[in-house]
Amino acid sequence: MSFLSQPILWGLFAAAIPVIIHLLNRRRFRTVKWAATSFLLRASRQSRGKKKLRHFLILACRTLAIAALIFAVARPLIGGFLGARSGSINTAILILDRSASMETKAASGQPSRRQNALTQISEAIKKAGSPRLLLIDSASGKLHEVPDPQALSELSLTSATDTEADIPDLLIKAVDYLDEAAPGQAEIWLASDLQRNDWKPSDPRWGAIRAGLEALPSQANLRILTSADEDVENLTLQLLSSRRIGDKMLLDLKLTRRKGTGDLAVPLTFSFKGARSSERITIHGQELQFQKHIPLSPKDTQGYGWVSLPPDNNPRDNSIYFAFGDQKPLKTCLVTEDPSSASSTYLHKAATAAGLQSAACEVLTPTQGSQIDWANASLIIWHAPLPAGTIASQLTRFVNSGGSALFLPPSETGHQAIFSSSWGDLHTPPQGQFFITGNWIKDEGPWQNGQNNSPMPLGQIRAIQRRSISGTGSSLAEWDDGSPLLYRQLEGQGSAVFMSTLPDERWSNLEFTALHLVAIQRLLEKGSDRLHADYRAIAGRKKAHTQGDEVRERLDHLEPFDPALESYRSGVYRLGERTLAVNRPPGESQAERIDRSTLEQLLKDSPYTLFENENTQTRLIAEAWRAFLIAVLLFLLAEALLCLQPKATGPPLRARKASPQPSSTP
Amino acid sequence: MKYDFLDTEVLARLGAIPLESRSSMIGNVAGRHRSPHRGSSVEFAEYRKYVPGDDTRRLDWKAYARSDRYYIKEFEADTNLRAYFVIDSSGSMNFSSADHPSKIDFARRIAATLSYLIVNQGDSVGLSCCNEKIHLEIPPSRRPAQLQAIFESLQDLRPEGETGLIPALHQIAEKTQQRALIIILSDLFLDTEELGSALQHLRFRKHDVALFHLLDPQEIDFHFQRPHRFIDLEDGSTIVAEPQLITEEYHLALREFLENVEKKCHDIHADYHLLQTSADYEEIISHFITSRLTKKR
Repeated sequence: MSFLSQPILWGLFAAAIPVIIHLLNRRRFRTVKWAATSFLLRASRQSRGKKKLRHFLILACRTLAIAALIFAVARPLIGGFLGARSGSINTAILILDRSASMETKAASGQPSRRQNALTQISEAIKKAGSPRLLLIDSASGKLHEVPDPQALSELSLTSATDTEADIPDLLIKAVDYLDEAAPGQAEIWLASDLQRNDWKPSDPRWGAIRAGLEALPSQANLRILTSADEDVENLTLQLLSSRRIGDKMLLDLKLTRRKGTGDLAVPLTFSFKGARSSERITIHGQELQFQKHIPLSPKDTQGYGWVSLPPDNNPRDNSIYFAFGDQKPLKTCLVTEDPSSASSTYLHKAATAAGLQSAACEVLTPTQGSQIDWANASLIIWHAPLPAGTIASQLTRFVNSGGSALFLPPSETGHQAIFSSSWGDLHTPPQGQFFITGNWIKDEGPWQNGQNNSPMPLGQIRAIQRRSISGTGSSLAEWDDGSPLLYRQLEGQGSAVFMSTLPDERWSNLEFTALHLVAIQRLLEKGSDRLHADYRAIAGRKKAHTQGDEVRERLDHLEPFDPALESYRSGVYRLGERTLAVNRPPGESQAERIDRSTLEQLLKDSPYTLFENENTQTRLIAEAWRAFLIAVLLFLLAEALLCLQPKATGPPLRARKASPQPSSTP
Repeated sequence: MKYDFLDTEVLARLGAIPLESRSSMIGNVAGRHRSPHRGSSVEFAEYRKYVPGDDTRRLDWKAYARSDRYYIKEFEADTNLRAYFVIDSSGSMNFSSADHPSKIDFARRIAATLSYLIVNQGDSVGLSCCNEKIHLEIPPSRRPAQLQAIFESLQDLRPEGETGLIPALHQIAEKTQQRALIIILSDLFLDTEELGSALQHLRFRKHDVALFHLLDPQEIDFHFQRPHRFIDLEDGSTIVAEPQLITEEYHLALREFLENVEKKCHDIHADYHLLQTSADYEEIISHFITSRLTKKR
């Protein structure tokens, strides 16, 4: 609890007045000559226990009534956010999470989490005595002074964005400012929805934040204002990847549903080259991943478009944008020990299959590693002992940037490891038997189900040789004895895949099942994604900002253009020579929040309080003087009741006074 | 009149009502009060058989004519009343509150007025005052000069010291041979058991006992607002008390005390009157006299 008129609390000394009066009265007695002292002695002996307790209660009621009156006049504030504040503050640093998830509303027509937080903080600032307000917004990450806190919600610095927030970074900035500026009695107010993606609980910077908060000269309280984890109906559309493949534009989309599990038909609006079309997608369960093919003509050297959902409780996660430019060849680099081997031939054919237009495959030996075209390659097939040194570093960078790498068993094991994985021994089955496949993951990876959801024919694979794989990655497909058949290690934006057998009749019948072809083409597609990255950007990141003399122009007209916010908002933009489809960060589509125990671990031993606003209309703080006035009345009423003498305690009035009464005996 | 405690108008108004004894009296002169002896009054008492030596003038010849037996017709004897005032003159009787008379003043008025009325109707009156012991004793007399002596004594009475009413009553019971009306005026701040014993002693000696229990209104109400230091009027001891805390217990103790006193009086058929000094003493005396008329036995 805090008080708007804190100096009035000095008046609490007045609560001692009843006690002082009582003590003075005890000392300032009158003297009277008295006859019936025997009754006095007896009464004094009997007047113990209840009587004294009642007397003390009366005294306590009077004292508490005065104290409650003083509290009421001091204008107490209650509420979880500022309620436990001790003393007044002169500076408040507001860290505002402007991420896309903060635009979620509890219901249609309600304010978003961000708007709600801003309204409540404006009110709290006013009631906290209007301290100096500094704002660090998650989009710009910079510290700004807010001259008029009441206009907080109208500032462009507090507007909605499609960015993500880096809460640890923002907290470090706030702590650094307090450490350097030492503004006196200050507090950090953090308004966020506790989204895991923004809070990054595994980030090592949290240790520094805790240490920074503890080391501040004047222990600054960290007050976290968040909204309750409402189970609101919301659909999220996410662009997993977009790339041009031949005469079509491939969009990998993901539709996520926050609430409900039944079938739901969702109308999707596609816009391409100014033409709009609609399509109904039925989502079953809470997540649907699907691919959209947009046909392109040879004249379509450049283009852009967007896909959107109908408005719902978060308007900022309903649309995705895409753009494309000139088609680039799908280039594979096959590094093999023996370019003339059967397996190398099959692999080369798979990388240059008829369905892949403008696909090229360059065959090199391990000694020619320096000739690999890292910049334009989409897939590296490494059918040789694992590389080391410079080649290994370049391969790692390639995968990190989004390229795909497929490793196939070499003739010799070698001792090298790459991507925390390495080849093991060569295995052969007992005479007359084969290695056959066991389980495999059907919803992702190179052997995921086809477009009609039909599974790949992995059951047809028969192998007579295989090489074991060891590492920290995960198996996408296993042999029937549990050893990995297809193994993947995710690295940065790309992935490294190990296959334990070869498309060679001396190893397996993969060339017969053509499953190696499926894997290579899917890896090639995935790896080519990075080549289209020139046309993609994430809202708020450096690439989405104008550079040099670039002039920004919004190409789509899904939303009105706001120059102050466009670096932080999704859309298709022309920045000088660049055409960019700016989308939300993928993490903003994940609704997962950190729980209280995680928060407690993150801010362990730091002076923080969490105010979870369950009702969007709830005020953060409220003046409680009415409650104290009621308390005054109650104390006075209690005092009056305690002062009342019971009926049976009246004096014996049987003595004769003025009129004759039959008081004589017999 | 030179005595403050006497009001001639009150005396004139009360003079018309005779004071009666509720029990028979043994006196040496004829009067208006019943005697245990047979006498020559007009009130028939009983018949008894003639025995030799009886006065033949008292034979009822009509009875002899009807029954042929000698009967002596006896009549009630009337004698005079012997009243004896016992006034408690301990220090506590000096208490008064507000503009009320002190208890001793109230006792003076009652004693003087009743003495006047008693002597005026031809009866004897005596006075005994006691604190630790009996310090003033005026034997009963029916002479008009007796009033002068009593009034002078009441006028000079100064309450002080502790009460010795109980031994005084025992002493009076022993000393007073003839039946008498013993009128006690006191605040009775003493042990009720011992009081009961003393009253029993008086009753055993066939005295008619009337008890005027005098209390100040403040002693009954105990209405004090702030802490007080109470100084005992008899022994000078002090008690500092917070009246708000002890009022209830005080009232309980007082009520119990009054009930005990009344019960003791009731046990010996004493005429008990609990009085506040704020009351009108004329009304009290009037009520006392008239109640005795109706209760005469």
